[in-house]
Formats: sequence, structure tokens, C-alpha cells
Amino acid sequence: MPIVARAQGISLGDAPRAGVAKGHVVFLSEESVVEAGKPEVVELQFRVDEGFHINSHTPADALLIATSFKVDPGAGVTVLGEEYPKGAAFRLGQGADAELLDVYQGVFRVRLRVVAAKGAQTLAGTLRYQACDNAACFPPRSLPVQAAITGK
Amino acid sequence: MRRIGVLAAMVVLVGLLVWAGVYNLRQRRAAMQRAQIVLVKDGTNPPAASGSASTDASEFGGESLKGKIAPGFTLVDLSGKKVSLADFKGHPVVINFWATYCGPCRLEMPWFQEFSGKYQPQGLIVLGVDQDEDMPRDQVAAGAKKTGVTYPILMPDKDIAKSYALGDYLPETFYVDKNGTVVEESIGTPSKDEVEANIRKAVGV
Repeated sequence: MPIVARAQGISLGDAPRAGVAKGHVVFLSEESVVEAGKPEVVELQFRVDEGFHINSHTPADALLIATSFKVDPGAGVTVLGEEYPKGAAFRLGQGADAELLDVYQGVFRVRLRVVAAKGAQTLAGTLRYQACDNAACFPPRSLPVQAAITGK
Repeated sequence: MRRIGVLAAMVVLVGLLVWAGVYNLRQRRAAMQRAQIVLVKDGTNPPAASGSASTDASEFGGESLKGKIAPGFTLVDLSGKKVSLADFKGHPVVINFWATYCGPCRLEMPWFQEFSGKYQPQGLIVLGVDQDEDMPRDQVAAGAKKTGVTYPILMPDKDIAKSYALGDYLPETFYVDKNGTVVEESIGTPSKDEVEANIRKAVGV
């Protein structure tokens, strides 16, 4: 009989009915330091678990759920604009049945143009996305994000 | 003096042989253990092979319906008409849970459409049960239309996901024989050949 060991961070696909929700996307960014009071670009870095993909900001099909970042209103940081990376082509299925998707895999970065006040600030928001592997999909999820930005 | 030297050499040699034997045994045991370990994420159960669908829900630690009577339901279709599983008593039935955002679901739905025609003489019924959260019926209809299926698409109620012990994962498909017994179930999209093999089990050919 095989021994089943539990380990963090091993991505072999997820298990349904396990009772533990896992998002398949994590927020990686550390503190950003910008010049206070001036427009600056900060990057929010995310990682999609190995073996999974999420739709890009511009999915191949209107029925698919686009990845998007929604900023929560808050004092200290004003967001002037967002820029999403281009997706990569992902072939789902084989032969004539195959469908070409536009996805993010691995690490991807959302760039925000911000103006931060002087001092330690927190940019709060939510990344909405929907993850799949080669054979199945998970429901859409929202990942809360708290990005530390210091205006100097 | 020479004897002592020979004796010392022999002791060292025996010691080395014993150490090498023990080391070798430990290495082999460790290698065997590594070969048998299946790593899974914390808080989850052993997954199916990457990129393929499971054919048995019990692999995931959940309740398998295989061998049990398919739970009854009454849902509404895209035109608002009530549809019950009991309406199809005596027929083999495929119950496919899907969602509009689910690429693998959309991949396999045309296969179900094709097989619903191929096994129509055997009385096969295919039912698609939408699992989009709070999606209006017209949007579900648009998603179904895109896949080209014409078999009944049913809107979910609050009970069906529980009665079929659905996971947080789509598609899930249950293959029910004419006696109402779940003869096969799949999680994720299997190959087209596997889908047909499951249908043949349900149909009994």
C-alpha cells in the first residue's frame, strides 16, 4: 500500500469534496517604495499553482471569466490605472475538439499606476479569477490583496 | 608485531564490510519508501493522475454514488418546464454537471450530444445540469447553445449539489442504468472513448 504523506505546496491537481478550499493563486509581492505624491508604478505579483491556469484579463471567449483586480477605496493610495499582462495560448483538448484559451500560468504581474501619500500605506483590493487544470475547473474565486506601499 | 598489524587490518576490513552492509540496507529502504510516497497538498486527498479524469469519486475521499440508486430530482429546464429524473424511469440516463465558465465541460458536451444520438435506439437520455452560481437562465442558454447541445439543460436548485455529493470541481458526470443505478461516475473530463465506454455501461451494451 502506498504511503500518503501530506505536504504543503505540492501541486498535483486538487481534490474535490476535500472540504478545504484552496484558491490555486497566491499573492507574492512585498513592500513597494515609491516617491510620495507623484504617479508611480507598482507591480502586484501573483503565482498560479503549477498544473493550473486562470483566464487572462482578455479571455478568448466572452463566457469565460476574466482575471481582474478591483481596488478597494481607501485613503493613502490613489490608483490612476491598471495594466494587465498578455496571456499565453493554452490548448485545451486535442485534434478537432481542441479549444485555444488565453491564460496566465506561473507568475504574472498586474501593474498599477498609483499616487501614494507619504508614509506607510496599504493598497487593498481583490483579484477575481477562475482556475482550471487540464481536465476540470473550479468556481470563480476572489483573492483579497493587501499590498504595502511606502511613500518617501 | 606483524600479526598485530594483520589482525588490525582484518578488524578494520570487517568493520568496513558491516558499515557498508548497513548503509546499503538503509539506502534501499529509503529508496523503496520514496517510491511509495504519494505527495498531496495539505488538507486534500490523493488526486487523480495529472491531466486526466478520475473514474471513481471515492478516490477523492468523497462519497461515491457508484452502485447506488441515483438521487431523484425535479428541476426546471431552460424553458421553465419541470423535468424529473423519474420521468425517465426505465431509460439509461447520463447526468452531466457543468458550468458556462468551464472549458473542459464545453469540450465534452458535444460528445454527449453525439452519443445521445448514437444510443438513442437504446433509450439513452442525457441531462445537463448547470452549476453556474446565480446565472440567469438566458445566459445559461447562451452558454449551452455555444456547445451545440440540444439535450435538456436544467437549472440547479439548492439541493442537487448536496444530493449528488458534488465537489468544488466541474465537470462531474453520473451514468445511470435503466434500473436507476449509478454504474459509473467521472470527475473532470475523461477522453471521448472513456465517455463512450461509460455510456455503454449505462446502456448495457
